[in-house]
Amino acid sequence: MRVETDHARLLVVEFVILVFLVSIFAGIFGSIVGLGGGVVVIPVLTILLGVDIHFAIGASIVAIIGTSSGAASTYVRDKVTNLRVGMFLELASASGAIVGAAVAAYANAPALGLLFGVILLITVVPTLTRVGEDIPASPELKGLAKRLGLKGSYTETDGRQVEYNATRPVSGLAGTACAGVLSGMLGIGGGGFKVISMDLAMKLPMKVSTTTSNFMIGVTAAASAGIYFARGDVNPLIVAPVALGILIGAAIGARVLLRSRNPTIRKAFAIVLAVAAFEMILSALGVMP
Amino acid sequence: MNLKDPESMNEVIGNVLRYGVILSAAVVLFGALLLTASSGSSDTSGILTYNPNQVPHGNYDVSFQGLVNGLVGFSAYSWIELGVIFLIATPVSRVLISVLLFAAERDRLYMAVTAVVLALLLFSMLVTPFIPLFKA
Repeated sequence: MRVETDHARLLVVEFVILVFLVSIFAGIFGSIVGLGGGVVVIPVLTILLGVDIHFAIGASIVAIIGTSSGAASTYVRDKVTNLRVGMFLELASASGAIVGAAVAAYANAPALGLLFGVILLITVVPTLTRVGEDIPASPELKGLAKRLGLKGSYTETDGRQVEYNATRPVSGLAGTACAGVLSGMLGIGGGGFKVISMDLAMKLPMKVSTTTSNFMIGVTAAASAGIYFARGDVNPLIVAPVALGILIGAAIGARVLLRSRNPTIRKAFAIVLAVAAFEMILSALGVMP
Repeated sequence: MNLKDPESMNEVIGNVLRYGVILSAAVVLFGALLLTASSGSSDTSGILTYNPNQVPHGNYDVSFQGLVNGLVGFSAYSWIELGVIFLIATPVSRVLISVLLFAAERDRLYMAVTAVVLALLLFSMLVTPFIPLFKA
């Protein structure tokens, strides 16, 4: 499975250019589906370029923060991101991330990685069964969701003003807490659970779910960035081209999303989610670094 | 700009993210140019070596003093590290600004929500690296 390449023979300039180009691609996809660019960056660095997994995860943290901040500046201005939903759910992702970091040393990481990977893979099914759905039927705003003002509106590609309400905020919190634990423990994998929490539990339009996840993942990643930086896992040679490529990719991806329809975004999300789930499962089984 | 206008919150937060990203990209780019200019025909083996038995695990200085010295001496790695620190600080500033914006709107519920998120974030970034429980 593992392709042995002698990365020692790559010149610094060649390595930087290669990682830069891959990161542009990662930034485009990551910013559209709300998962950050780690899904693409980690396997390319470890499998193709023979980089140690710890450096790859450090680069993934930088990629996630870059995708998040780079695309969110556009999404927030265009009011596709729901700020209140994002900030409310950040309570769960930030707490979950601390729990994840605390249990990382004691928990059986492969077993948990396998469990979360299988859950993610299963959620591809309900995501795909609604693949043709444009805007979900908006539930009545009531209870906690009403108190928290979890509603919003945005302009669709055809100029329609879409009004929507969120439902089941507690289920959304629970799903996002899983996302936080996963990010804190493994440094990866939070975005998928965030999008699913908003899409399946809270019934938000797909675009709102992926862009609000994109908004939140930067904060979750920043929470653990300090530890990775202090450990020396953030390697300047790798993160320089990753950061620059990701920011360019995120700027492109944000423009693509605003011109895309919800069913298209849902398809892209399902594909990237399946890939991310397989990566987690293969990595937990020790097939992949 | 009227901070009490909810519409302007999107604008302010969008700008915080945009300027954070631009500043960070400019500094990282400067570092990357220094890196490629100084690398010549050297390969990546020296810098990509992961040392599991020593902290930090890489062959570059991550201490504050090392960073300052490196910046003054135009070390490519230090300039890249500074750019990455700006990038990490961007979402943190966004949360901080959100607390202030909700305070200006007199929205106590969301002021509390964002203040708790900020506290959790700072705890996790600055405190947990020093607690043995978290040292994997």
